[in-house]
Amino acid sequence: MNRLRTLLTSYLARRLGMSLVTMVLVSIAVFLGVRAMPGDTAQALAGEQTSPEVLASIRQEYGLDDNIAVQYWRYVSHAATGDLGTSARTGLPVLDAIREALPITLELAALALLLAVVVGIGAGVLAAVRKGKPSEWLANGIALLGMSVPSFWLGIILVLAFAIATPVFAASGFVPFGTDPLENLRRLVLPAIVLGSGLAAVVMRQTRAAMLDSLSADYTRTARAKGLTRRQVIGGHALRNSLVTVVTVLGLQLGQLISGAVVTEQVFVLPGFGKLTIDAVFTRDYAMVQGVVLFTSAAYILVNLLVDFLYSVVDPRIRLGGAR
Amino acid sequence: MRRIPATLAVLALATVTTACGTLSPPGEQSVAKARLVDDRPVRDGGTLTIGLKSDPDMLDPSLTSTLVARTVFASMCEQLYDVDQHNKFVPQLADSLPVLTDGGKTFTFTVRRDARFSDGTPLDAAAVKTSLDRHLHLEGSGRASEIDSVRKVTTPGTYTVRLYLKHPDTPLLGRLANTAGLIMSPTAIKKYGKKFATHPSCVGPFKYEKRVIGDRIELKKDPLYYDADKVHLDGVTYKTITDGNIRMANIRSGDVQVGDQMGPVEVRSSLGEKGVQLLNTPSLGYMAMTLNVGNTHGISGRPGTVNNPFGRDVRVREALDLSLDRDLINKLVFQGMYAPACGPVPPGTPLSTPTPCPKRDIPKAKRLLKAAGVKTPVPLELMINTTPEDNRLGQVIQAMAKDAGFDIRLRPTEFATGLSRTLAGDFQSRTGGWGGQPDPAGNIDSLVGTAGSNNQGKLSDPVIDRLIVEGRSTADTAKRREIYRKLTLAINKQHSVLYLYRNINYVSASTDVSGIKLSGDGLIKAEEAGYVKGSR
Repeated sequence: MNRLRTLLTSYLARRLGMSLVTMVLVSIAVFLGVRAMPGDTAQALAGEQTSPEVLASIRQEYGLDDNIAVQYWRYVSHAATGDLGTSARTGLPVLDAIREALPITLELAALALLLAVVVGIGAGVLAAVRKGKPSEWLANGIALLGMSVPSFWLGIILVLAFAIATPVFAASGFVPFGTDPLENLRRLVLPAIVLGSGLAAVVMRQTRAAMLDSLSADYTRTARAKGLTRRQVIGGHALRNSLVTVVTVLGLQLGQLISGAVVTEQVFVLPGFGKLTIDAVFTRDYAMVQGVVLFTSAAYILVNLLVDFLYSVVDPRIRLGGAR
Repeated sequence: MRRIPATLAVLALATVTTACGTLSPPGEQSVAKARLVDDRPVRDGGTLTIGLKSDPDMLDPSLTSTLVARTVFASMCEQLYDVDQHNKFVPQLADSLPVLTDGGKTFTFTVRRDARFSDGTPLDAAAVKTSLDRHLHLEGSGRASEIDSVRKVTTPGTYTVRLYLKHPDTPLLGRLANTAGLIMSPTAIKKYGKKFATHPSCVGPFKYEKRVIGDRIELKKDPLYYDADKVHLDGVTYKTITDGNIRMANIRSGDVQVGDQMGPVEVRSSLGEKGVQLLNTPSLGYMAMTLNVGNTHGISGRPGTVNNPFGRDVRVREALDLSLDRDLINKLVFQGMYAPACGPVPPGTPLSTPTPCPKRDIPKAKRLLKAAGVKTPVPLELMINTTPEDNRLGQVIQAMAKDAGFDIRLRPTEFATGLSRTLAGDFQSRTGGWGGQPDPAGNIDSLVGTAGSNNQGKLSDPVIDRLIVEGRSTADTAKRREIYRKLTLAINKQHSVLYLYRNINYVSASTDVSGIKLSGDGLIKAEEAGYVKGSR
């Protein structure tokens, strides 16, 4: 038991160390990447109609005329204390902006995921069970549309149909769930449909393929032979076994869900993480871009660390990086 | 389960048909005449949401550099002077026009006695001095160069402010009717210093409440405002919606009531549409094609000679100018919704003189190129912004110039990159605009004067420089008008800045909102706005 604890501790320390190194590398890459963007930062901040004196003072104010190593050290030492700086464009703290934006993107992604799972699995099962019938063609057709239609276009069409012609949902904006749950949903359903449609299509096709395999498998035939009802055979046996593939696909697509939110947030004017990042890049708001990317990287690294740790707890065979 | 596909099919069909139903064809409503106000009676209460084209930068009058921030200031920060709907200067926080003495070198005015800042501090001469001193001396102040003719600010009386100038500066009044005239609470300045933008406090019908970066700025009615009785709304929210189509969709859905800086395409699509009204005012600025004729050492360096046919010979530039048809550009690129321009002074302002635009003349352009002895086609790289509108503009210029013997290559360049290339002199020509100021000096001095900080093509001409000084130091309106007429002719003679068109500021609004006013410089004034009686 003691040996196990020692191994676990050293494994954790090793993983933590590696995560820290990764974070430092990420911070350097982001720092240099942002500065490699063409265009003068001070000028982008000051706009076109400004004087050289103003530019010089902006450079001085934000330390843009310092050595790049000095700039990096200043940034990273502040970030280590939780100070991600202030937005050079708006003068407001970067951390506040992240705190406001993150829950919106997370809620949107979660809702899109839910829609994708419910619609995708439902349509996939239907298409497999009713193979060769018109309902399968329709489900396939809709899935093809879901994968091909640009989210920007779909968003505008949904707004025209369900926010303007039939004002059931709102065209834009966000209201926190805690403030008004109904209004929150009214504003998030359309963006969630747009964001989730591509994923739903992928899930539908994966479910259909897996279900077709399962339905022709021996265990399904056995289940039927045992006299189980159609519902029990499909739900209890075929679907259950198909879900393994579907869940793997879902896991792989999750990252895309977050990155896809960038376009959806622009269409529905949702002040989420994606919109924050795009606006910051276009205005050369270094502090904001760095803050957002650093924060996202830290979240990814932390989640990976937690997952690895949980694996090692749950399954001793995966544990401890090959330690015997 | 069996019904799901059929339901989906009906839903899909309904989506397409209802969507088509909302897209109105262009109507017959005219936009040729400026419409600056809608004065139907309104009820009290409600919040107005105004959709902005971009996110404002710092809400600090000294540090801001964007027009969109000024749009927000229009509701919460008043200026010493303002521009009325006829582009005349009128007092706002000042209570009279300034008195100029000592040959125009002393500028004296009094401020209103009934105004308080949103934090309760009273407005007086000392408060104005604090703001003007901050504009002049705060590090990074964008206002310092605008009012750098001011040597000293004094307060000879509780409500009297006197500015001692280094030299006569007639356009100063115009700058005090702009961002440089915005006055901040001295208490807030003292408390927040350079972080004033996090808690801006001024005199205005609404006061700052909250800002969510990239999303919205919330203002609420200020009970301390001197004209609070006239304010009907409980608050105003500014929401950033960068895409014009989405801004219009939000007006149609009722999520947003007013859309600022609407583009020609969206305006055309909404003309005659029930539920949407249009307000418009001509821009005080211009859009132009600037040729690099002398920017060889960067914008802050001395002018040189650009070693290409355009830099060497004014006849080549004139030929290019003659190849362009401004009316056709307006029709093809902007659906006829803007106005052709051929000079820096906006028409309709007290100092403007009608200037005829040169007609397209291909034979003459070809003769000029022949006389200049250049080999045709004459190559030219034109840097354009990466917007669809600029792309179209570039293509139309390219096609027109080709007829005269030019080979224009378009170089779409993202804003910040384009800006640094321009400042470094690393360009042959570019399209770009100037937001504009009510006094013509604001559209000329820094842009075509040899020492001008925004003289991108580094045009250097002694006649222009002399007239700039004359225009700045002359107070008589008739004399100034004549100077700016001569100045326009002198600038056009150089064919270095080819003025192309003038924007029209379009503001779309829901018809259940009234009382909105546009000032001559295109800002939305919401102080008397509200929801029409009987509306939601």
